[in-house]
Amino acid sequence: MRKSLAAALISVLALSACGSGDDSSSDGASAASCAPSSGPVSLTYTTWIPGIENVVKAWNDKNPNIQVKVQTGPNGNGGTYQNFFNQLKAGNTPDLGHIEYDALPSFRVQDGLFDVASCDIVAKAKDQFIPWTWNQVSFGEEKTAWGIPQDSGPMALFYRADLFEKNGIAIPKTWEEYAAAAVKVKAAGGYITNFSQSDINQFAGFAWQAGGRWFANDGQQWTVNLTDDNTKKVADYWQDLISKKLVSTVPPWTTEWDNAYNSSSAWTWVSAVWGANSIMSGAPKTAGKWRVAPMPQWSAGENVAGNWGGSATAIFKNSKHPYEAAQFALWLNTSEEALALLNKEAQLYPATTAGTKYSYLANPVEFYGDQKIYELFAEAATQVTPDFTWGPTMTSTYTSASDGFKAAVSGQGTLNDALTKAQTSTIDTLKSQAIPVKE
Amino acid sequence: MTQTLTAAPEKPAPVPASTGRAVRHGRAVPFFVVPFGILFVLFYLLPIGYAIVQSLYTVERTGTFGPAREVFGGLTQYERVFQDGAFWTSIGRVLVFGVVQVPVMLGLALLLALLLDSGLVKGRRFFRLAFFVPYAVPGVIAAIMWGFLYSPNLSPLKPVTSAIDFLSADLVLWAMANVVTWVYVGYNMLIIYSALLAIPAEVYEAARLDGAGPWRIAWSIKIPLVMPAIVLTTVFSIIGTLQLLAEPQVFRSFSSAVSSTYTPNLTVYSTSSIPNFNLAAAFSVVLALTTFVLSFVFLRITQRRGDA
Repeated sequence: MRKSLAAALISVLALSACGSGDDSSSDGASAASCAPSSGPVSLTYTTWIPGIENVVKAWNDKNPNIQVKVQTGPNGNGGTYQNFFNQLKAGNTPDLGHIEYDALPSFRVQDGLFDVASCDIVAKAKDQFIPWTWNQVSFGEEKTAWGIPQDSGPMALFYRADLFEKNGIAIPKTWEEYAAAAVKVKAAGGYITNFSQSDINQFAGFAWQAGGRWFANDGQQWTVNLTDDNTKKVADYWQDLISKKLVSTVPPWTTEWDNAYNSSSAWTWVSAVWGANSIMSGAPKTAGKWRVAPMPQWSAGENVAGNWGGSATAIFKNSKHPYEAAQFALWLNTSEEALALLNKEAQLYPATTAGTKYSYLANPVEFYGDQKIYELFAEAATQVTPDFTWGPTMTSTYTSASDGFKAAVSGQGTLNDALTKAQTSTIDTLKSQAIPVKE
Repeated sequence: MTQTLTAAPEKPAPVPASTGRAVRHGRAVPFFVVPFGILFVLFYLLPIGYAIVQSLYTVERTGTFGPAREVFGGLTQYERVFQDGAFWTSIGRVLVFGVVQVPVMLGLALLLALLLDSGLVKGRRFFRLAFFVPYAVPGVIAAIMWGFLYSPNLSPLKPVTSAIDFLSADLVLWAMANVVTWVYVGYNMLIIYSALLAIPAEVYEAARLDGAGPWRIAWSIKIPLVMPAIVLTTVFSIIGTLQLLAEPQVFRSFSSAVSSTYTPNLTVYSTSSIPNFNLAAAFSVVLALTTFVLSFVFLRITQRRGDA
């Protein structure tokens, strides 16, 4: 018994020694190099883009020496980020990973990402991207980039044209009109929308539009501000709709949620451009009945859009072939061939300036009654204010806010209570990670 | 199943005989012990040791994006654990869950085992299998299936679920208790049933000669004799209750009432996805200790009663 204990102890000590050894070496390896490899290379890429296999196949067919193996998983906060964090800890990340803009700081703070700006091909491509999307991967710094922008998520109002017309309800142009329409929709037996209680990103998009700014980083320390006046205004607005039971509150991204749209119980969805795909796959029975209009405004006559999501293709620090990974990521996110495929498979909206002008984006979309929806999103993309900064522990911020939002839709507390709690818990999380934060 | 059962609770093993044999088969002992020993160390002691080591570290960094350095932090993480109200609330929650669910489940298991053993039912083999089948359904699948059954809009039992919201804050804990009971009642029944089968027939004969009816035999002979099996299943259930993860994790997407810190293991999970592995390790160690203490206390109480 004593012997086995000693053996266990020795191995534990050995293990922890390995652990600290790894850490010190990773401290030193910050000088990144991005040189081409010799010989054939095979890369791994993890993402959750629907239909990505077909896009990657197009690359593999043409690049026999750089073969990409794609692994698909659940959406980021649904599990893939946790896998990435675990893989980082274990040192076996894929070469490339799909990371949304809001999660990039979390991965950077965990020292998991390769600085792609050190690859000359990426540095040269910088100007191809819409400035604010580049800003999301460079965090406003001159010579760094923690991923290659893939898409953006300008928001607009998806609505059931048939139901609005049948009931003589005007399409709301402002949030005030939207709330008024909610009352009429309820009277007609529906809900104007489903409030996303556990996916906080949508709410973040609302706050973004209203001028809320949740995080700031002055280089010395972070400032957390989940409860600024603009965010509070948005929270009060939705709390009012929830309290009056004018919106349904089924959990998002579930069968029940699909059902709410498919069964015509929910009439609108203020969502990002990629949401076009969610409705098409989740509510096939409603084909042809949806249209898209600009996002409702806080003041009549304004033209401000929020942004929900948008992703980068990041290269993990452990990748042995960052140069080839960057080549693939650039092709994936800047070439007309790949962008057209990504749009066809997943309704992604490109992050490059040239991409927004490609002809396929002018095509009418059958599901939306042949409306040219991407023209509308192209306009929304120009109305997104570019200076939104994400915090370095978004997983925790979202989890905490979502706990509170879920309580609020069950009648315990309000959305603003939830944000206040998320504010405290975010600051606690930052402190427990030794990330400097202003209290 | 019978082997583990009879091996664990039956104390009065013939000690001298076994030591005698151990000497004669000296070489065979390591042969049989080493494979187990290696796996035990690799997949049990090492992870626990690693978690303990991790829990003693804390992170330091400079600047807003400075790389993290792990430094020895003593009991810093444990200080956070003990200050974390949500964690202790969740321990209280699973304890309430256990106090109600474990007796109900084991009572049902005992009842079913006695019924199968009584000879009153026909098709004993069929029922034995039928009761056990839910255990063969993976826990996550079972939770998803019940989640849909409870769902107010998608359930096939919509008239019931739209009247009673099983996924509301008041009921969701008991909705999960039902899932856990459904999955594990057959498993526990099988353990108790095999203990019943191990009771020698002479005991029943003697009881019948003394004029005991079926009720009396069940109450005064069967139940006391399978008590060790019941104690064993109770300990398993206490451990299982404190470590509830699959059901609440699945129900998070069905119900607004299940938060990210609903059970202790969910707290560990969401802490590790921040990612804050050190704090998650400290949570795990405290949870393991709590489980150990509770199981130990329960065993002490039941053993003392047995001695008296």
